[in-house]
Amino acid sequence: MAMETSDPLFPVRQTTLCLDIQGNKTDIIVSSYEDHFLVIVTQIGSMGTILHARKEEGVSIDPTFNVAVVFGKRDEPMLAACARKLIEHISNSGSSKALVLSLGLRDHSMGTLKGIVSAVIEKLF
Amino acid sequence: MNSNGGVEIANQSMNELSIKEQEADESVQVTCFSEFSDDVTLHFQIIRLHKQIYAWIGCNSAKFGHLYAAAPTRPSNNVSVTSLIGGDSDNTGLGIARRLVLKTGLNIVLACNIPKNSPMLEAKAEKKLMEKLISLGYTMQKI
Repeated sequence: MAMETSDPLFPVRQTTLCLDIQGNKTDIIVSSYEDHFLVIVTQIGSMGTILHARKEEGVSIDPTFNVAVVFGKRDEPMLAACARKLIEHISNSGSSKALVLSLGLRDHSMGTLKGIVSAVIEKLF
Repeated sequence: MNSNGGVEIANQSMNELSIKEQEADESVQVTCFSEFSDDVTLHFQIIRLHKQIYAWIGCNSAKFGHLYAAAPTRPSNNVSVTSLIGGDSDNTGLGIARRLVLKTGLNIVLACNIPKNSPMLEAKAEKKLMEKLISLGYTMQKI
């Protein structure tokens, strides 16, 4: 059940979603700004680790992406992989917006992160 | 016999009510509003998570701006604040985040695209956001 929760005159579109991922209640909020997407995924009531993912403006045909943790766990490669998957999807859909991704998760298993990526891509983008 | 049954029903209702309160407390609340004045429009977005608040302040545009995180440091009354994205040479928003935490005791992540060198605009945005946080009942301590 994704809910659009903004008044059409407000310049930022938001969608909220609440679902179960691997047994944990997960809230996902996606906000669309002019130059960024903000995706908040939380199971713990706070934003947790925050990542910033950007498409690099380069000369070559294939885009390259830069993913960095700006707050929180810097030693969890699965979190960065999750951000990378999402920024790739954003880029493939034609947008040059950057991504701010927050992951406040109870577990960092592959199953959870895959569940998050598919929920975000499928229902919200 | 009847009074025992009554007490049981009352207990059950109270348990249900406190579970509902807890669920409502743990659900995510999103509030958006805009303030128009003179030639400037300020947009505010507040996302309330159970233990943290995310807010975005937009000045005339929907650009994301710089991102800051601020939180009270226990047991003293100090506030720690840091810029996460942008905000190295242009710290507009850093002061807002710090003062919001100082006055509300909340754990806040703030995104802000107010242009630098606009102290009046900063003050106005901070005041509006503060008023809203209070009116929504999100604040934790008296100012």
